Amino acid sequence: MAPTIRLSVPGTLRYRGIAVRAVAEAARLVSGTTPRDPNDPLVDDVRHPFDTAVVSAFMEIFNNVVIHAYRRKDGGMIEIAITPTDQELVIEIRDTGTPFDIDGVPPLPDELTDETLPEGGMGIHIAKTMLDEVTYEPGPPNRWRLCKRLDVPHAATGSGRS
Amino acid sequence: MPTPFEVQKTTNETKLTIRGSLDINTAPALAEEIDKIVAARPTKVSVDLAALDLIDSSGVAALVKLYKGVRSAGGAVNIAGARDQPLAIFKLLRMDKVFNL
Repeated sequence: MAPTIRLSVPGTLRYRGIAVRAVAEAARLVSGTTPRDPNDPLVDDVRHPFDTAVVSAFMEIFNNVVIHAYRRKDGGMIEIAITPTDQELVIEIRDTGTPFDIDGVPPLPDELTDETLPEGGMGIHIAKTMLDEVTYEPGPPNRWRLCKRLDVPHAATGSGRS
Repeated sequence: MPTPFEVQKTTNETKLTIRGSLDINTAPALAEEIDKIVAARPTKVSVDLAALDLIDSSGVAALVKLYKGVRSAGGAVNIAGARDQPLAIFKLLRMDKVFNL
């Protein structure tokens, strides 16, 4: 079984950067991306599509927990378990705040105009679109499970002959 | 936390340069600046995202606020330079076509 990285941070925005950087580094373990600056591997350096998807989605879910579960108040913790393997990255996020109504998130407008351009409600859409799996179980504790798989060419998984 | 944006005003244009991470922690300060920009009713606003490394939905919302506010007062907004993760987010949200990225 792949080793799991565990991080426990207070559920406030002050600790968001620590969590995001840990997730970014774990994504790079899977994607094999070399940091732009090897002397500062934790700099905001997200270029590979896999890293982009994982970090973008995680940022939105972390924001969601702080805003909706903990209502921007101190007191709760966010438990993060990151499991990187050769083929995928799984992130489980737990909080003990107010459950979130994920089914109540409206879809993006079909047509974007000056009037319909959204100024909110984009976070869950970003996470769901970027990842292969996003599941949410209301609690307590509330549990998010995020999964992103590396794209594997079909030729590498088949016999190579038809 | 360093401010990730800079505003330069000339007689013809307001130029907004955003760098680093525009997110839920940094977007509120930018939103305040955007209120000032919009209130001045500029005819042209240029937004340079070439040095922007990361953006989240809060950052996108701030840019949408700028775009709507300036255009509703008859001004024009030109957003350019998005790359990597920020460009991927704009494409996912289909805003790359709205902003002509």
